[in-house]
Amino acid sequence: MGLSSAKAAALLARDGPNALSPPKQTPEIVKFLKQMVGGFSILLWIGAILCWIAYGIQYSHDPSSSLDNVYLGVVLAVVVILTGMFAYYQEAKSTNIMATFSKMIPQQALVIRDAEKKTIPSEQLVVGDIVEIKGGDQIPADIRLLCSQGCKVDNSSLTGESEPQSRSCDCTHDNPLETKNIGFYSTTCLEGTATGMVINTGDRTVIGQIASLASGVGNEKTPIAIEIEHFVHIVAGVAVSLGITFFIIAVSMKYPVLDSIIFLIGIIVANVPEGLLATVTVSLSLTAKRMAKKNCLVKNLEAVETLGSTSIICSDKTGTLTQNRMTVAHLWFDNQIFMADTSEDHSNQTFDQSSGTWASLSRIITLCNRAEFKPGQESVPIMKKVVVGDASETALLKFSEVILGDVMEIRKRNRKIAEIPFNSTNKFQLSIHETDDPSDKRFLLVMKGAPERILEKCSSILINGQEQPLDDSTAEAFHTAYMELGGLGERVLGFCHLYLPADEFPETYSFDIDTMNFPTSNLCFVGLLSMIDPPRSTVPDAVTKCRSAGIKVIMVTGDHPITAKAIARSVGIISANSETVEDIAKRLNIAVEQVNKWDAKAAVVTGMELKDMNQEQLDEILANHSEIVFARTSPQQKLTIVEGCQRLGAVVAVTGDGVNDSPALKKADIGIAMGIAGSDAAKNAADMVLLDDNFASIVTGVEEGRLIFDNLKKTIAYTLTKNIAELCPFLIYITVGLPLPIGTITILFIDLGTDIIPSVALAYEKAESDIMNRKPRHKKKDRLVNTPLVFYSYLHIGLMQSLGAFVVYFTVYAQEGFRPSSLTGLRVEWENDNVNDLEDDYGQEWTRYQRQYLEWTGYTVFFVAIMVQQIADLIIRKTRRNSIFQQGLFRNKVIWVGIASQIIIALILSYGLGSVTALNFTMLRPQYWFVAVPYAVLIWVYDEVRKLLIRLYPGSWWDKNMYY
Amino acid sequence: MRRQLRSRRAPNFPHGYRYRLDDQDEVNQNYLADEEEEAEEDVRVMGVPNFEEEVNEEEQKEEEEGQGQPTGNTWWQKLQLMNEYLWDPEQRMSLARTGLILVIYFFFYASLAAVITVGMYTLLLAISPYMPTFTERVKPPGVMIRPFAHSLNFNFNVSEPDTWQHYVISLNGFLQGYNDSLQEEMNIDCPPGQYFIQDGDEDEDKKACQFKRSFLKNCSGLEDPTFGYSTGQPCILLKMNRIVGFRPELGDPVKVSCKVQRGDENDIRSINYYPESASFDLRYYPYYGKLTHVNYTSPLVAMHFTDVVKNQAVPVQCQLKGKSIINDVINDSFVGRVIFTLNIET
Repeated sequence: MGLSSAKAAALLARDGPNALSPPKQTPEIVKFLKQMVGGFSILLWIGAILCWIAYGIQYSHDPSSSLDNVYLGVVLAVVVILTGMFAYYQEAKSTNIMATFSKMIPQQALVIRDAEKKTIPSEQLVVGDIVEIKGGDQIPADIRLLCSQGCKVDNSSLTGESEPQSRSCDCTHDNPLETKNIGFYSTTCLEGTATGMVINTGDRTVIGQIASLASGVGNEKTPIAIEIEHFVHIVAGVAVSLGITFFIIAVSMKYPVLDSIIFLIGIIVANVPEGLLATVTVSLSLTAKRMAKKNCLVKNLEAVETLGSTSIICSDKTGTLTQNRMTVAHLWFDNQIFMADTSEDHSNQTFDQSSGTWASLSRIITLCNRAEFKPGQESVPIMKKVVVGDASETALLKFSEVILGDVMEIRKRNRKIAEIPFNSTNKFQLSIHETDDPSDKRFLLVMKGAPERILEKCSSILINGQEQPLDDSTAEAFHTAYMELGGLGERVLGFCHLYLPADEFPETYSFDIDTMNFPTSNLCFVGLLSMIDPPRSTVPDAVTKCRSAGIKVIMVTGDHPITAKAIARSVGIISANSETVEDIAKRLNIAVEQVNKWDAKAAVVTGMELKDMNQEQLDEILANHSEIVFARTSPQQKLTIVEGCQRLGAVVAVTGDGVNDSPALKKADIGIAMGIAGSDAAKNAADMVLLDDNFASIVTGVEEGRLIFDNLKKTIAYTLTKNIAELCPFLIYITVGLPLPIGTITILFIDLGTDIIPSVALAYEKAESDIMNRKPRHKKKDRLVNTPLVFYSYLHIGLMQSLGAFVVYFTVYAQEGFRPSSLTGLRVEWENDNVNDLEDDYGQEWTRYQRQYLEWTGYTVFFVAIMVQQIADLIIRKTRRNSIFQQGLFRNKVIWVGIASQIIIALILSYGLGSVTALNFTMLRPQYWFVAVPYAVLIWVYDEVRKLLIRLYPGSWWDKNMYY
Repeated sequence: MRRQLRSRRAPNFPHGYRYRLDDQDEVNQNYLADEEEEAEEDVRVMGVPNFEEEVNEEEQKEEEEGQGQPTGNTWWQKLQLMNEYLWDPEQRMSLARTGLILVIYFFFYASLAAVITVGMYTLLLAISPYMPTFTERVKPPGVMIRPFAHSLNFNFNVSEPDTWQHYVISLNGFLQGYNDSLQEEMNIDCPPGQYFIQDGDEDEDKKACQFKRSFLKNCSGLEDPTFGYSTGQPCILLKMNRIVGFRPELGDPVKVSCKVQRGDENDIRSINYYPESASFDLRYYPYYGKLTHVNYTSPLVAMHFTDVVKNQAVPVQCQLKGKSIINDVINDSFVGRVIFTLNIET
């Protein structure tokens, strides 16, 4: 009868609509404001506010004072807002997990209410409603089936099992996920029809719970975010402490508070690398693009680097490590095991095909098979053709097509007379054919099935094409082979045939498959054939690479332990010479319990065992075995495993494809969803999508991630260096009283102008050595910005740069009339607007504006000097250990684009905008561009010496303190 | 003892030093067992005091035995202690190494300083002390007036000497160098109307032309020691900024002319200029720089504002006139001109 409309309305009011509630969203404005105050923004805001305060003080003294400080404040604010908007834009691009969960919601449901069938929006379903579903529908809520006609559902989005599952109205299991009489919200009904009663709606459905679990799993900070935060702290710490120190010094040197505030602004602006965070983002997105080309689509930019620091990969088996299709792996006939080629194209079948047994076997394989290619695929390579039929039959069809050629043609020549398809009671499949030999009028009965069943039906065996009686020794051989193949985790099929005697079965004989009016025993056994979902051919190599890169690969699969172990062995997750506890027990012939379990390098843990373990036991296993396979695990256990790995301090990458994987994907440091097999929810929860589902792509991703980490180090080192050259002028200005060597605006032009493209260019730098032979970086110990980096950038190169720039500055002043000796302590008079006849060393007299203009010329040459030395800095940062000449000066073309951009921007600023007084640039005499060149060369030479010593004395004191 | 050492040493090293590259391999390989390692380290630390006590006992024994033959064991332990002093496995740093760091930094900075000093020295050697390399930034010449005390507003009350006395003092002070006696003694009287060009090496001393205070007549302060301030007819001296090598156009000396800058032109009814030509004679050019042209005295033009409207601020602009003189730079109101206000109260 269904519910009455009134009752339904009441329930709807009580439970709410049948829809997933969206997660609490941070309002966009909050996100935006967070970007506005994150990173260095706070410091710059302080700078801007100080500017306005300074103007306020000036204004209160003299209402006609210049607006310079207001402009500077505005410029700083604009810089913050622009970088904030850039960061916000980047963040907004990463999509929200709930988006596709809601997309999966079915739109309409056929419901029985008031004893009438109605179509209503599924959001209005309430508990107790009776709904009808049919093939092709999405199930509108969690329902308990009341009656079903051949109903099959696809639960892959929920459990990851891709095989259709039949649904009936009997309760077969206590676990709702296992029982056959429950259909789940958002899964698809593939065929048949069913009627069911709604038992859960909205967030209370199984998928709703997973969704809330996934969004409940906290999004932890990525390693690179932590590194950048650490770096921001260092730089901000330096900026603030220097600023305050010099503010105090300035005040105690009797500078007016106003001046001290202006010094403070200068120090902050000089210390903060304004463009750096944007540069880091650009570098990361460049890498993300590069990875996308290699089939790793990165959703969350920071995940680019996370992959590089990954130390454990928890990988799925099916589809990721394997090709996700059954393939013939071994054959056994003539008492011999032959290996078939399982590579992606099967091109290289090398086993002996001359034996008469093979001819018979191949005929059975061809004929006793119902699978067919879909028409219209003539031009498609055999392995890629779409087949109608189940996985094993498909494997056999393709196998025979590759070896024998046109299977359809062979089948046509051997017309099928009768057939018994495979079913689970018989466990065999049988068909009867005419032969293609026109002189042979006998029928051929071919049969395949479970090996032991087939053997039971046989009385003879084909050896080298000759039929021989099946004796105990051959049966023994059969069993050994069967066990061996089974032990490889392969699905084994037996094949036999029988030529029906022509006298008993004339051409006109009518076969009846129900009465079985033909012999099904005393057949002739031909051979065994085993199939496996073989590893992708690129995977073993990739696993080896992971191993040499210090990454532990853990296989997590729902498959049988034997199959899982076999695949693990064949791809190298369990290496050839390592043993599990069971292996040791077998070798030493003792009970499993007696083996010291820490002797075993490898471990295969099943889901059942995992269920009984507590946290400590799991941690022990994860820590003590280097090669681990988790088999028969339920999807939920994946999360447990990931958490276990993370407790050990590892950076964990997890692959997954089902909806059920999304909590684990979210929990992992980097979740990797499968692009082809993956559900949308998995893709949403993941940080990265593997477009080709191939494990090997992860390894290339790791390589890129490590490279970008190294290159970011270089970028940061490059950017930090000039901070000192920007800072020293202020410190000297305050303490020695020189005319200001470089202005705040000019500094901004370096940070946001000339330096931007070169620092991005470092992201294109190639690796110095094989980065895949290195261990993954330790989260806490291998910092992005470490002490040697800061010391070397600030106290070595940075200092050299400032000295070089000061030499240029002094040159200009000396050539214009002010020698260094008379510059010291000149600041007060120099900046006095009323002194318009200040005498220089030649007795010439300068007006205030003439001095101002000279000061701007000073800014410009200081700027040019820093720019020229930053070119040298850029070149030396190409490598950290190797000589530049080993790395190749011209291999990274982008570096040269960067250098060109620096020079061009500087030229434009000096000669193009030299007349715009607000920018404080002037046109320079051409020779001033070259004064700093010797110091640039000096920097280069010094760094080459540093690298040479590092290479000559690895592990020495020098290496430890000078290698960043 | 050892703990003290450590705590004293610890602040010297940023923690980063602890994690050095060679440790990374070890660390990474077995990072899963890191905690264990740390635990082991703790155990080691705990064990240290006992160890030291043993050593001390040994040492005491040695002392008791006098010059007794030390056993190999003690030597070995001593060596270990020594080694630990130099190389603390926990801190992964040692005192000796700190010294090394300081020494290396010292040498690095010393050699850097040497390089820079040499660079600067050669640079300064290359720059002539007699003639500036470039003079384009100091050209065209600026103008300044005297008396000058912080402000270009001349506010004074004729009847209150206190309000103008400082102008008089300032002018007197300024004109000391122009005293006729001094000028006659130090400088030569060169022919007017032409450059006073002195050939010869740049490092030769140059002679300077006389500019006598008496040239300024009524504004010389010789006849009227109050420079006209006591009568409400103030004298203001104008001087052009010195520029090495600057020469006005030949036959066209730079002239000075003042007028009301804004407002009624008749606010100033008459100005007397001294010298009467209101110009800077060519003989005072060129200037050869203060190192060789020691006694050079800048020529002056005195403006005697003999009839200015009283009790009101009158903005005055005095401009240089002549070829190659620019007096309308927007940003610089002291190039070729000077603006000041006269506010004479009676």
